[in-house]
Amino acid sequence: MNAGYVGRRLLTTVYTLLVVSFLVFAMTQLLPADAAVTLLGNSATPEALASVRAQLGLDQPAWWQYWHWFSGVLSGDFGQSMRTGQAVAPMMFGALGRSLLLAFLALVLMLVIAIPLGIVSALRRGKAADLIIGIISYVGISLPEFVTATVLALLFADVLGWLPATGYVPLTEDVAGWLAHMILPTLTVSMILVAHVSRMVRSEMVDVMASDYIRAARLKGLSSRRVVLHHALRNAMLPTITIVALDVGYLLGGIIVVEEIFAIPGIGRALIVAVQSRDLPAIQAGVLIIAATYALANFLADLAYAWLDRRIQYA
Amino acid sequence: MNDALLRIDDYSLSYTTAHGSLPVLDGVTLSVAPGEVVGVVGESGSGKTSLAWAIMRYLAGNAIEHGGSIQLQGEELTTLKAARLRALRGGRLGMVFQDPSAALNPTLTLGSQMLEMLTRHRGVSRGEARRIAIETLGDVDLKNPESMLARYPHELSGGEKQRALIAGAFACRPACLIFDEPTTALDVINAAQVLELFGRLREETGVAALYISHDLALVSRIADHVCVLEKGRIVERAPGRKIFAAPDHPYTQSLVAAVPNPRRRLVAESEIAAHANARERPPLLTLRGISVDYGQRTTLARWLKRPDPRFRALNPFDLEIAHGEIVGVVGESGSGKSTLAKALTGLVNHRGEILLDGEAVSSTPRGRADYRRRVQLVFQHPDGSLNPRQRIGELIGRSYRLYGLPEGETLSQAVARSLEEVRLDPTLASRYPHELSGGQKQRVAIARAFAARPDVVICDEITAALDVSVQATVIALLLDLRRRHGTAYLFITHDINLIQQIAHRVAVMYRGDRVELSSAEELADGPKHAYTRALLAATPTIASSARVIDDEFSAPTMDQE
Repeated sequence: MNAGYVGRRLLTTVYTLLVVSFLVFAMTQLLPADAAVTLLGNSATPEALASVRAQLGLDQPAWWQYWHWFSGVLSGDFGQSMRTGQAVAPMMFGALGRSLLLAFLALVLMLVIAIPLGIVSALRRGKAADLIIGIISYVGISLPEFVTATVLALLFADVLGWLPATGYVPLTEDVAGWLAHMILPTLTVSMILVAHVSRMVRSEMVDVMASDYIRAARLKGLSSRRVVLHHALRNAMLPTITIVALDVGYLLGGIIVVEEIFAIPGIGRALIVAVQSRDLPAIQAGVLIIAATYALANFLADLAYAWLDRRIQYA
Repeated sequence: MNDALLRIDDYSLSYTTAHGSLPVLDGVTLSVAPGEVVGVVGESGSGKTSLAWAIMRYLAGNAIEHGGSIQLQGEELTTLKAARLRALRGGRLGMVFQDPSAALNPTLTLGSQMLEMLTRHRGVSRGEARRIAIETLGDVDLKNPESMLARYPHELSGGEKQRALIAGAFACRPACLIFDEPTTALDVINAAQVLELFGRLREETGVAALYISHDLALVSRIADHVCVLEKGRIVERAPGRKIFAAPDHPYTQSLVAAVPNPRRRLVAESEIAAHANARERPPLLTLRGISVDYGQRTTLARWLKRPDPRFRALNPFDLEIAHGEIVGVVGESGSGKSTLAKALTGLVNHRGEILLDGEAVSSTPRGRADYRRRVQLVFQHPDGSLNPRQRIGELIGRSYRLYGLPEGETLSQAVARSLEEVRLDPTLASRYPHELSGGQKQRVAIARAFAARPDVVICDEITAALDVSVQATVIALLLDLRRRHGTAYLFITHDINLIQQIAHRVAVMYRGDRVELSSAEELADGPKHAYTRALLAATPTIASSARVIDDEFSAPTMDQE
């Protein structure tokens, strides 16, 4: 892969993040929350409020505040939480780590299930297997995650009692406990994505299997396995990668809901708490981190795409 | 006949469609002896490609076979088990496809696609396969075979791809190869190289081949025997050399007659004299230094000092077209000939000057509209240029709405007359484009252009997608319309045989340059430029295949004269 292409994509990603940081900052400026009031409460004296504002730099012009905040972000300092008074960065990155583990598990589970499902339904198009997979997929797509989560929790935690319904055990303390707590959230998050991605793989696979080069590959006398896995899947995966990268955005949104339901202390929960307590530095950090994750996922997808299809780099 | 290598006996095939059963092949019997090349010639819909799929046992799901047998070296293929079939395919029974760009997987290197064939059918290790592949590619005069193996299909030219594919097919030591129009997607000169390669490898290996094509001139030159396929039946089988000189079956005769013969002019000599007089008037259209650049350079790219992506598709081009004159523009793909058409019709921006009747085209809206009316364009693919959601009547009526109805005619009368002029049934006005055949659609496109009462019609490869017999009737129609309306044509084509039949003057294009501008006679006597000579030498002609063509057989194209 040529360095120029990687450099160009990286530059675009950095540019996107700059714009996002600006928007995030502008958004918090527009919020009807006065940081000084949030800190001191409604009964504070005007003098106390003024001194806190001066201390936080709230009396400075907006561009100065932005620069102050942004230069801090660049050095990893997202400011102090207004709720706890502690630094935002370690809190948010800790939460992000737990969320990313969940997202990663969900993504892997999704790919492991969705790609074979897509291939099978494409190869058996119109047959019973295709129909059944199709119906399950559409049910999966149409169920919102809070329904899936509730049903799964009812079934596996309440009725069967196999798994804990809510809560979280750190991976470093107890691997088995961590896994037990992660299974239901992972299933919930990957459910909708499985449906989405398997449909995508199916339709791409159907198109690719009808292409001239697949016909040529078959008429070379190659085995069906080689034709499907070596020749067809690679091409069918190309548009799928783009979809998966877009789905990461959805995944992060879905995780906020799922973390809340299963009480997992991830970035989604941290963000909800921050919004509820009008903790501006924490909101800014949370939104920026989620945006950065999303941008990074798209950057990686671009690289994967270019690696699979060498024509991309010249476009 | 018993020692035939490939033998097809009374084989019939049909497709089940929504409209019932559609017969495709009807009692086909043919055989290919060891070392023999049998050509199968037919127009679209004749079943020639279905025959190839039937032999390769790669039939569509809706295909139904109605008996008959297909045998390779005595082994019946129609009842073969899948595993045995896979061992045959690509090995003893190989196939070379029409479009090498489509037949190669865009995401895998050429090497990986060649090596998998060799390891599969030669039973060698990857290292050994690699050695064979390098040797094979070197053998067919491809440069740097080692680095070529590491390249992706888009990094190779069409001719290189097809030569590599053919070399690969031969390297698997086939007994019989099926060629499905292997040169149709290539430029003339690349096609000539591929044919030369085919001839050489065939001589070296003694492989038997079935060569499928729509091009009678080409097939008769390379095949020992030619089978002519009409609507699923073989109507004639004759030695390649004989089929042009003395075709027996009326269908073959009409096919032969429809093949453009550069020696047979379709424009009467008296017209050329009249055209010489016409030259006293100011030329209808004058092009001065028309040039076109594609691509654009962004400000960011300039700051970053990136290489300029702009390239010149057409170098400054001068041409005068007289009233009623037919000027041909010939060249390969990428020569700039279609760019010229787009520049003249304002579809791309150009530099240089266009004069109409000796005067600069006015830049007022009225002046531009007048120019657009007088200079009409007909595209190569009617499927792309006719809006599929409009009826034929609306499509043609649009020209009348834009440029005004002739006096004393209603819109529907004018549309009906337009359709009659291109010899279509006026009732077609209520149909949609997809209900028409390719030839009919192209006639509609021509009718639409003529509804504007143009002075010059630019024809951009308008017959390239048509069968040769349909092409002949479309050409006859154009000449007839010109006789009636005195229209001039700028006829853009890659077919140098065809252009020699109809053009008064021919411009030869090569990589954006006009390398030659000659009258038809001068071109026939001997072209000046080396590229034109190479182009003519690479083009198979009917004249080089047969000396005598009875005039009687020329009926379909001559009835307009």
